Amino acid sequence: MNTAIWLVRREFWENRAIWLIPAVFGGLLILASLFGGYHVIGAEDLTTVRTVVQAGALDGMVMIAVTFFVVMAIYSTWYLLDCLYADRKDRSILFWKSMPISDTATVISKLVTALILVPLVYFAFADVTTLLMAFIISVRASASIGGSLWRIDTWLQIQTLWLYLIATTAIWYLPVAGWLLAVSAWAKRAVILWSILPPLALALAERVFLGTQVIAGYLAARIGLAGYFSHALQYTPGAANWVKTEIGHDASIETPVSLYRFLNAGGFVSSPETWIGAAIGIALIVCAIQLRTRRTEI
Amino acid sequence: MPAVIEARDLTKKYGAHVALDRANFSAEAGRIVGLIGPNGAGKTTALRAILGLTDFEGQLQVLGREPFRERTALMHDACFIADVAVLPAWLRVDHAIDFVAGVHPRFRRDRALALLAKAGITGKRRMRELSKGMKTQVHLALTMAIDAKLLVLDEPTLGLDILARRAFYDALVNDYMDETRTILITTHQVEEVENLLTDVLFIDKGRIVLDSSLDDIATRYAAIAVATDRLEAARAEKPFYERPLLGKMVLYYEQPNFDQLAALGEVHTPTIADLFVAKLSGGVE
Repeated sequence: MNTAIWLVRREFWENRAIWLIPAVFGGLLILASLFGGYHVIGAEDLTTVRTVVQAGALDGMVMIAVTFFVVMAIYSTWYLLDCLYADRKDRSILFWKSMPISDTATVISKLVTALILVPLVYFAFADVTTLLMAFIISVRASASIGGSLWRIDTWLQIQTLWLYLIATTAIWYLPVAGWLLAVSAWAKRAVILWSILPPLALALAERVFLGTQVIAGYLAARIGLAGYFSHALQYTPGAANWVKTEIGHDASIETPVSLYRFLNAGGFVSSPETWIGAAIGIALIVCAIQLRTRRTEI
Repeated sequence: MPAVIEARDLTKKYGAHVALDRANFSAEAGRIVGLIGPNGAGKTTALRAILGLTDFEGQLQVLGREPFRERTALMHDACFIADVAVLPAWLRVDHAIDFVAGVHPRFRRDRALALLAKAGITGKRRMRELSKGMKTQVHLALTMAIDAKLLVLDEPTLGLDILARRAFYDALVNDYMDETRTILITTHQVEEVENLLTDVLFIDKGRIVLDSSLDDIATRYAAIAVATDRLEAARAEKPFYERPLLGKMVLYYEQPNFDQLAALGEVHTPTIADLFVAKLSGGVE
């Protein structure tokens, strides 16, 4: 356990971008809310204005969460691809391997960092950012809103959404993470190319020689966001899930009644595809550990 | 007491290239063993096998363990510096100490700090800010602060100036070494380690060509320098190598008749470097 903590600290020492990127990103958003122009929608009475602004605030918070999440996903992908390659490249693997730390512990520490800890860091920064922005905007616009944007249930929904996204993406994208780690432990150079070309070649070969697109279909269903959304989230169109808030006379915004209604934990856990993917992911991670044991040199 | 390192028919092939060819050697506790060989002789491969960094054919036991399968356990009792300047550029000196202290039960922080203070390296500097020599000092301090039974050093002083090299070897012998420990060391600068080695292993083309203690070398090998008039008589004693030196000829013998050699000239024990050249050049021209 002690070793695990040090392995994770080591990752944060090496990859300061883990917190620098969301810190800068959050900082920019806060600056924008401090100095940016704002416009409170005109409405007849203060109650309507508050409803409208709070509805807009929920949309805004979800937007910020999603944006942070996208940046995080790109960063984690790069991190997984680089983590086992970088220390072979600079030969520091010869130092790390002189410590009584198993290759399994090393690989798992990188996996946990990418799939759990990096998302949690982004979550924390997104949270602080949204809280500060809500506070700043509430203060700046208090004259026209007449109160705070802060609503505890909105905030709790966002927290749940984050934790749900972190848990489900970690499981859903385990095969992707396993593949990236295996490439990172194996490639002598050009990790990005090696991560993309073999699956692409496989899909093309299938199309050319068999005329089918089964592999391409599987890959798209796993990597593409649509595959994840259809398993982990649910969206039933219809008025029941949405609140329509009138703005002035001829405009309106739609906000979800509750974010909880979009989470499909039951469907995600009971889908065989979730667990087949996880099993493939674990197999690839075992491969990555084996490669890590055998490959010391570039 | 079982040997610390015991290799039987150790073989490693990279495709068609045979890096280690049925090498046999062993090292006992309390010894300082020099592994000496030309570039590409298999030194590094042998060290990698001993440290569990590479798979191999044949048998190899290090501290009673199979290194490749039990590297993690082995690294509790063994430590190594397999190359110079391998500490990553982003690592801070204080973090490096914290990390090793955190993961290695045999690490003594006070010792590492004392060694670093002696080298004049302090605090929060990152490896990228340090010179190659200083980086090596940090790595040496981290490694020598581990109470290991086996210390493996591959060219440990490359990049250090002569003062630092001397200080390192002095510390190694006087502060670090004791009868429970074993040190395996490779270096190109044989002259520098000659006085501290207790044993030598010569390796050439993947094979061990000499495995001997220094004491045995003194009783087994001899060299004499003779002028031309005595060359034929000296050659009659069957030297295995000879080379001209300042108008004389130096002849090297294995298990000679020391009395007869003494009649020809002053008999001396060849230096490790000379013996190495003699052994590897082989044969009288």
